[in-house]
Amino acid sequence: MVDPAKLSRYVSPVNPSVFPHLTIVLLGIGVFFTAWFFVYEVTSTKKTRSLKKELLVALVASIFSGFGVLFLLLSVGIYV
Amino acid sequence: MIILNTFLLLLATAFAAEEVNTYLIFKNVDRSIDLTSQLVKITSTITLENAGKDAIKNFLVVDEPKANGKVAYRGVKDSAKQDLNLLPVQVEGNDQKKYHKVILRQNLEPGRTATVVLEEILARALEPYPSSIAQKEKQLVRYFGNHYMYSPYTVAKQKTEVVLSLRSVENYTKLKPVTQSDNVITYGPYTDVKPYTEDQLIVHYENNAPFLTVTNLHRLIEVSHWGNIAIEEEIEIKHTGAKLKGPFSRYDYQRDTVNSQHSIKSYVTVLPATAHSIYYRDSNGNISTSAVKHRKDWIELELRPRFPLFGGWQSSYTLGYSVPSYQYLYRTAEGQNVLTMRFIDHVFDDMYVEDVTTSIVLPVGVSDVKLVTPYQVERLRDDVKYKYLDNMGRQVLRLRRKDLVEHHIQDFEITYSWQPQLLLHEPLMLSLALFIVFLAVIVWVRLDFSLGVPEHSKKE
Repeated sequence: MVDPAKLSRYVSPVNPSVFPHLTIVLLGIGVFFTAWFFVYEVTSTKKTRSLKKELLVALVASIFSGFGVLFLLLSVGIYV
Repeated sequence: MIILNTFLLLLATAFAAEEVNTYLIFKNVDRSIDLTSQLVKITSTITLENAGKDAIKNFLVVDEPKANGKVAYRGVKDSAKQDLNLLPVQVEGNDQKKYHKVILRQNLEPGRTATVVLEEILARALEPYPSSIAQKEKQLVRYFGNHYMYSPYTVAKQKTEVVLSLRSVENYTKLKPVTQSDNVITYGPYTDVKPYTEDQLIVHYENNAPFLTVTNLHRLIEVSHWGNIAIEEEIEIKHTGAKLKGPFSRYDYQRDTVNSQHSIKSYVTVLPATAHSIYYRDSNGNISTSAVKHRKDWIELELRPRFPLFGGWQSSYTLGYSVPSYQYLYRTAEGQNVLTMRFIDHVFDDMYVEDVTTSIVLPVGVSDVKLVTPYQVERLRDDVKYKYLDNMGRQVLRLRRKDLVEHHIQDFEITYSWQPQLLLHEPLMLSLALFIVFLAVIVWVRLDFSLGVPEHSKKE
């Protein structure tokens, strides 16, 4: 057996007590960019549409929403 | 490593059969047989004396061939309360009997004495007699033992105390000298008892302690490096005392609580102090009759089964909780992760568990898994489990053992390598999935499904 006194405790990279706050912030930003993306998609016409902007907004929205959803799962107790 | 060592030692000892050293004498034996619960706890304080000319390194203890029930736990401590190693061995000319060799920490020099304490826990050793009783009757059980310590050595002097829960004793064998005071029956002292002497000791007495056996326990431990360890236990329990004869009257049961003591209304499970998100349910759904009490160093969980349990009745439930990982998960200097957790945990006091399967779900992407167990367990084939947002699967270690008591609540240890970057696997997968959705939208708005001729093509 390994002596636990000689080992360092493993600590989660993110403190579990900030999971709910992270969820709100990340998911908030994610939802904002998602909304922006869809508003942009339906309001822009073929001529005003710019693929670069669409991709950029989609990327930011998906990254923030992805992490937001993860912390939402963690904060409700689904430890993935 | 310990298992391997014991295994090698076992191999080494299996080929060299032991001999009983006739120069070793048990100078004095004080036995205490505790019959207050469903288990039989025999504690023997043995004074060893070396009457020979050579130093003695070890001595033998032997299973009583006629004893009821089975030895669920056996441990030997020396006078400094240090555990001594026990190894099963074969003895020449006595192939039928099961011997265990106890290795002393210090050699016993000629003419010297040493004191050791042998503790044995027997399960299923108490026989309900009568075997079935009505709801209002008291539960009487019989214990079959030996007036003398069953030993391969001569016992110069011995005394046995039988401790009962109540003073009401139906009957007990009276091998003189014997005295009963209150709930303790004292046999002896008997002098110069030859090796392997048997003389049946029978005590027939009232025992209303819960005769509750865990027939099957599945313990699932899920490790998450986000800082949580989830534990879930699926428990099947059975009342193994005297069977209920005749009908069960709920009216009588509610009205007088004094006369149906042998039934099991509720019991207390002890959880770690940091346990949270506790749930208690069965196949029907949540069982609301439970209460959580926070103590300083543990959590007491009072569980009440859906119905009181009488002899022969059984029930099953699921108990789950979460603990933070910092208490059980460590990192070595080489960057390996070490998980130390209990192989089984407390279910109720004086518990007896027939069969345990413990599954440990490790995080995604572990390698170099090494397992150390406090006692011998059977390792079943590894499994793969898929949890939420899991496309790679997690390795599941499955361990099994039969016949466990409270003394088996000990830690196992799993060492594994794992890359911390793998924590990003799930959020990146989620992000990718969302990004694919956005891409689909981008493509979709560029497609034209209208039946009419596009305006701009008209102009051109």
